[in-house]
Amino acid sequence: MLNETLPYQPIPEYSFLAFSLLVQEISETRDGNDKIRIFERYIPKLENDTDLMLAVRFIGEGAFSKISEQSAKVGPRTIGLLAASFCQIDYDLVFKPSKKAAGSTSETIQRLMENIPEARKERNPEPLHLTEVQQIYTQLANTHSRKDKQNILSDTWKRMTGVEIKYFLRVMSRGSLRIGFDIQYIIQALAHTFEFDPDQIRYTYLITGDLGSTAVLAKNDELDKATFNIYHPISFMQATPSYESVEDLNNYMAEEIFDGMRCQVHTGKSGTRLFSRDHNDISKSFPEVVAFFNEKEFPETVLDGVLCVYFDDKIQPHQLLQKRIKLKRPASKILNEYPVIFIGFDILYHRNETTLHLPLMERRMLLEKISRDKGILVSNQFEVSDQVQLRKTFQRALDHGNDGLVLKNKNSTYECGLHSRSWIKMKQSDGSLDTVIMYAHAGSGKEVSFYSDFTLGIRVDDDERYEDEFIPIGKASCCNSNDEMKLLNSKIKDLIVERYGPTLALRPEIVVEIEFDEIQLNRRTKANFTLRLPRFRSIRWDLDKKDTHTLQDVEHLYQKKMNAPRIKQVENPSFIITGSSL
Amino acid sequence: MITIRQKSSHGFILPRYNIGLDSSGKDAKYTFISHAHADHMPSSADVVYATPATAKLMKARKFKGNVNTLDFGVPFSTTNARVTFYPAGHILGSAMTFVETNEGNLLYTGDFRCPASPTSEGFDIPDNIDYLITEATFSLPLYRWPRHELLFEEIRIFASKSLSEGHTPVFLAYSLGKTQEVMHALAPLNHPVQVHDSAFPLCQIYNDMGVDLGNYAKYDKETVQNTILVTPTQRLRNGMLDSIKKPKIAYVSGWATLESRRMQMNIDKRIPLSDHIDFFELIALCERLKPQKVLVTHTPNPDIVCHYLNNRKISASPIESFITHA
Repeated sequence: MLNETLPYQPIPEYSFLAFSLLVQEISETRDGNDKIRIFERYIPKLENDTDLMLAVRFIGEGAFSKISEQSAKVGPRTIGLLAASFCQIDYDLVFKPSKKAAGSTSETIQRLMENIPEARKERNPEPLHLTEVQQIYTQLANTHSRKDKQNILSDTWKRMTGVEIKYFLRVMSRGSLRIGFDIQYIIQALAHTFEFDPDQIRYTYLITGDLGSTAVLAKNDELDKATFNIYHPISFMQATPSYESVEDLNNYMAEEIFDGMRCQVHTGKSGTRLFSRDHNDISKSFPEVVAFFNEKEFPETVLDGVLCVYFDDKIQPHQLLQKRIKLKRPASKILNEYPVIFIGFDILYHRNETTLHLPLMERRMLLEKISRDKGILVSNQFEVSDQVQLRKTFQRALDHGNDGLVLKNKNSTYECGLHSRSWIKMKQSDGSLDTVIMYAHAGSGKEVSFYSDFTLGIRVDDDERYEDEFIPIGKASCCNSNDEMKLLNSKIKDLIVERYGPTLALRPEIVVEIEFDEIQLNRRTKANFTLRLPRFRSIRWDLDKKDTHTLQDVEHLYQKKMNAPRIKQVENPSFIITGSSL
Repeated sequence: MITIRQKSSHGFILPRYNIGLDSSGKDAKYTFISHAHADHMPSSADVVYATPATAKLMKARKFKGNVNTLDFGVPFSTTNARVTFYPAGHILGSAMTFVETNEGNLLYTGDFRCPASPTSEGFDIPDNIDYLITEATFSLPLYRWPRHELLFEEIRIFASKSLSEGHTPVFLAYSLGKTQEVMHALAPLNHPVQVHDSAFPLCQIYNDMGVDLGNYAKYDKETVQNTILVTPTQRLRNGMLDSIKKPKIAYVSGWATLESRRMQMNIDKRIPLSDHIDFFELIALCERLKPQKVLVTHTPNPDIVCHYLNNRKISASPIESFITHA
């Protein structure tokens, strides 16, 4: 419910207020199909292509399209300090506790703007066109000082209602709008409105990387005009762990899951750029890989693969890659110490044509040809027609220091951005730890009525480096069953120490055994370590918090993994150059 | 200066006057109970004082002991003080306790709401207050309530729209006070309402005191479909809603102001109808009354209210800094 009467009538459909009220209505609707219907009613009201593009972009991607690599770059403290000053309240004494209670900066600011008389007086809302809002985001992206950014924000807020300010901030932050309306819903709404198959819309979005433009192409019946933009990353295809769906091993090829970092290489006449899984440009951190591709003078090509540290004929622990990732301009010493190679395992684009729709084995033939012609490294593929062969190949991958195997269906297309059952991963867990629950977080989707996500703590009570009893080591979702989830939710009620919006701080008493893929060094965390893909194995009602593992145990496990022997890439190597030996 | 002591988790004692305010009833000769919510009323005591409606509600909520009734506005003399109840506007029977002594006077608000709930006896407050012990449950500027007439209208619209679309509207509301307020808001619709067992006996007391709660019956899973159900929030998680085919759920509370409640509770609608005073109303009331000293309680954020009041030249502090512990 808004605490502010609407400032003008009628509200133009192209206005940011109409957009904000739409988003609010979607947020206040529980059923997914009802949300889609609300959005479908809105789409045809936007007659102008630019308005449609912006509305769809704002609700689905944020202020800028993903491929633009632009961002308004305004930090939460800049926003909070400005909001406090705008509302004439004390930042530490009033703003911060309000934010803590609401659990959201943007909602806090909406409420303060609506409620505080001084903030109401400062504002004189007027219809802001979606295009004007886009210009403001661009202006923020091109402005560098905090003061200048605050001036732009302040001038904008003066022209907005509280609900507009909330969604202006959420769109700007590129995070979720927190309305339970993800891209799949938007794709369905566009497909239904413009009478396309959702897969056509999804494919167009994947190759253009731009949801707003996809909407306009759909509106104008021009999906076939969508073009792939090289040097703009597309979403990676992901494997799933559903081995039970493998009916006939003969339909699959096995590749090792490299102990490295997933990477998309875009190379061609205009040079080479490398993108990480989260679409960040990481080219500068790996100049030798960029130089390698530039020297080869590729036609326009996009490859999917992995970066690994490689020396002494061995793939080295991927933790060593972390020493490279954080360096924007690595010195020659570090380049020599931790040399990195790119191993390709798929091809997505070549000579002005996308290859996503081709079956795996056709893509593989093309990849091997390029490997042969240009001398690039590609993953080795193994036939695994029976369980004996599968186990042997899996063990060899582990002996190479890799994480396991991925089984790829020979006929599968490249399914961008999806966790597909066409790629099945078989990994070995690095271990398990007994931890305690420190925080409970409200769930979403089907688990919305439960606290389903938990921050888990590792014990440091006897550790001289810390004054705490437990510190966070990872975050995982519960549970193995609905009954277990209910039981856990009832137990945590008695342990609540404090509430932070949708998060509860708990007394550390419930012990959870978690397993994880690996331990990673992460200097930005209090523990200096994080766990990759931690998940509940069981809630250990039988254990006391004193029975849990310590941070020293984590450090020991990490060192053990780092020092584990790895076999050389001699026989049956993990990767090859087609037509030659390594 | 009047000495205030706190002995247990809730309630205060004025030891020099042998007076207890929402305390256990065992530490003072005269204990005054502001209203019948569990965090203000003891479960048992030899004798306490309360308004007639609160006395009935306490008995209905299994209070073990004697309740002497004291009407609003009628002074009661103790050994060395004079005590008067003022209507608090929170729920039926809710009272603010005004204590006059040789050291000055003190008003203990209990829980209160101004403007008053239409299902209460209204709101009235003495003009010259020396010490004001005030609750500040919603003590952040995040909270400013829309007028209750608007919220009542929202309640009716939600119910009518849900019914017309083939849903059974369910209102999540605390069993004493909020349930009856929701029913009162729904009464003009003249549509059958079912209420949870814990609220049903309390509704009869509201009826007896002249509050219109419309056409209602006790919850029955066989006949609940297509009625309007009003039930406490806790029922959401214990399967009660499983008996309803197509529920539409509204959460009615001051806490419903925040979006995070939707995420936590999986509800269709938040209706921020509170039975407490909001932040701005509290500041305005203190500005009008200008007590010598405001003591803030029932809040995790007393410093914010004190900051606002001190800026307005009204001396205020968290009650913890003022009380002596026994």
